[in-house]
Amino acid sequence: MATEQPDTFDEVNWESVRSSSGIVNLALKTKLMLITTLPLLALWLYDRVAVGQREKTFVQLGKDLGLSGPFETLGLTWNPAGLDYIFIFTIFLFAFYMILPLYENPRMTRYYWKEFKRNRPAVVSLVWLAFVFVVGIIGPLFIDKPEPDILKSFQPPVYATVDTANIVQCVGEASGGTCQGTWQHPLGTTGSGRDVLAFMVHGTTITMKIAFITTLIVALIGISVGTISAYSGGWVDETLMRMTDIVLAFPTLIFFLMITYIYGASLGLFIVIFATFAWGGAARYIRSKALSVAEEEFIDATRISGASRYRVVRRHIVPNTASSIITNLTLLVPGFLLAEAQLSFLGLGDAGLLSWGQLIASGRSSLEYAPWIILAPGFILFFTILAFNFLGDALLDALNPEAESEAEK
Amino acid sequence: MGMAQYISARIVYAVVVSMIIVTASFLLLYFSPNPNIQAAAQQAALGGENPEEAVERVKEARGLNDPIHVQYMQFVENVYTLDWGWSETRSEPVTDAIVSSFKYTAQYSVPWTVLSVLIAPTLGIYSASRMYTWKDHLATGFAFFGYAIPNFFFAILLVLVFGVWFEIFPITYDTTVPILSLENAWQLVLPVFVLVTGSIGGTMRVARNESAEFMNADFMKTAKAKGVKPTRRYTHHVLRPTLVPLSTSLVSALFALFVGASVLVEEVFAIPGLGRLLVQSIISQDTSLVLGTTLVFTFVGVVGNLVEDLVFTMIDPRISYDDR
Repeated sequence: MATEQPDTFDEVNWESVRSSSGIVNLALKTKLMLITTLPLLALWLYDRVAVGQREKTFVQLGKDLGLSGPFETLGLTWNPAGLDYIFIFTIFLFAFYMILPLYENPRMTRYYWKEFKRNRPAVVSLVWLAFVFVVGIIGPLFIDKPEPDILKSFQPPVYATVDTANIVQCVGEASGGTCQGTWQHPLGTTGSGRDVLAFMVHGTTITMKIAFITTLIVALIGISVGTISAYSGGWVDETLMRMTDIVLAFPTLIFFLMITYIYGASLGLFIVIFATFAWGGAARYIRSKALSVAEEEFIDATRISGASRYRVVRRHIVPNTASSIITNLTLLVPGFLLAEAQLSFLGLGDAGLLSWGQLIASGRSSLEYAPWIILAPGFILFFTILAFNFLGDALLDALNPEAESEAEK
Repeated sequence: MGMAQYISARIVYAVVVSMIIVTASFLLLYFSPNPNIQAAAQQAALGGENPEEAVERVKEARGLNDPIHVQYMQFVENVYTLDWGWSETRSEPVTDAIVSSFKYTAQYSVPWTVLSVLIAPTLGIYSASRMYTWKDHLATGFAFFGYAIPNFFFAILLVLVFGVWFEIFPITYDTTVPILSLENAWQLVLPVFVLVTGSIGGTMRVARNESAEFMNADFMKTAKAKGVKPTRRYTHHVLRPTLVPLSTSLVSALFALFVGASVLVEEVFAIPGLGRLLVQSIISQDTSLVLGTTLVFTFVGVVGNLVEDLVFTMIDPRISYDDR
């Protein structure tokens, strides 16, 4: 994707090119990745080995480090689970391998932005997704998990009212048989008395987890299978592509329902199952792209220069298929978000999870008098899915100059 | 490879995929706790008997002590001879339960499929013939909306607006009305509408982009110069080449929705069809019924893929079968 080319050939600083190819001088992104991943790994190991099932990781860590006091004042009582570690890891990957290169190559970034900017819906989508991302990452730090409180069930949103016959107690003003909404619960509460806004903020984190972790898994498998298949050819190609066919034909949702039936539902299981059956399209796409790249003469040149097979694939084929990968993944994510919401809605998701789908599901039986429980998360989900679709379309245009661009015609 | 060979290879392949799915189901069930055994053990414990003996008895009666390959062969044989067992919760054979629910699924699936097949290409070509006018933008906007809005959420919205607020349509499906009656058609309007919006979104986009390619093709100019009427130009010259990519996209969209969204739409509108049967069987832990309904859906998926490939080969004579 981002090629490190200076404006003109004679401005190439060969000193820097030579020094950056050394083994000791790892690229900045690799260094940063190591610096951030190692503590994360250490924390994970610590969590596995030293922290008991019922103890909170950071409370225990505070005790062990003798820093209970400062930790308490900071409010550090976080208890990360397995998924959280993978989620943080993916965010680091995203930051250092997507955002950092864009920052390091301002010229290409400007070019991409210029192309991208033409598509106005996509810019709006990007802003919306950035907002969802920020809320998902830092929202839960400021807003506590919504606790059920049966006395506060079905409180209406601000400026809305509900018939007092349907609720236990009215937090706001009650007059003439109707209950007014209050700013205490700007978007109302659910039937179990959970605040809808807080629920949605925590749901955003779940959404981000699904989006990032599935993307990581799909990208890993899709890129490996696609490029290996294209570059190896022969029976390896044939076997891998037949496998891809099966994965593509596999009815994931139905299969997942069966697994849920036997083992019970959890977010981790959802992510793993859906991601391991979603790479088919990506692999096929990347294979066809990689096949055309492998025909290029610079690949031959690289090979003649003595580059290993791994290096050719890693340094030349994968970067050249990056635009297809990114577009394909952007268009895959909404499917996962939808699947999670659908499963929750059917009552087959993890009922303890604070996801948008669960919120929609919780408002099902009270649709007639408390529609806000479904409407708020439903529209947010719709906008997010729409944004991913618009963004995917725009990326297709911006990253792939050969593709017919709708905005340009 | 000739066309006949290609088709037979495709069919063999579909059988292989179905075998893989059946095997996966068998392995899942084999390695998971069996609710029947647990129930027997519980009953024995409550009745003061030895639970282990009861477990042994049930295992013996169900052939669970046989070696794995014997059980597997038995399982495969039962699956392919449609001997899918007895549904405890519905007190009827699984196949009967599936057939009776299929009646309801078919009632909305048939009109929905017909409408999608008619509307998607028409709208796409209409859009392409008026490219970049407000009509095109409206149609494209509609397509994006239908594609992106979660079907079940759209269904809920429609129920809320037209069922609860305006009370035009019934909120829940009434099974007592005769199939060929106005009331039945009326109560199926919303589910069909939701599914049509969901399925034509993507397909209409394909139809639009593909037919746009042919709108200014040489043969269109020739036709125009010869005085062929616009409608005939679109139906005879643009529609046919567009149908090739469109058919695959349409078939796959229909099957994807049949397997995925129909479950949700049935759930929202309380239609007692196949999807609802599956969800109910999972919630009530009825193993035979879960297995039976999942098999129906997976087979539909496999057949759908097969049909998709075959349609593709039949419509487009230009495809070479040498490389896939």
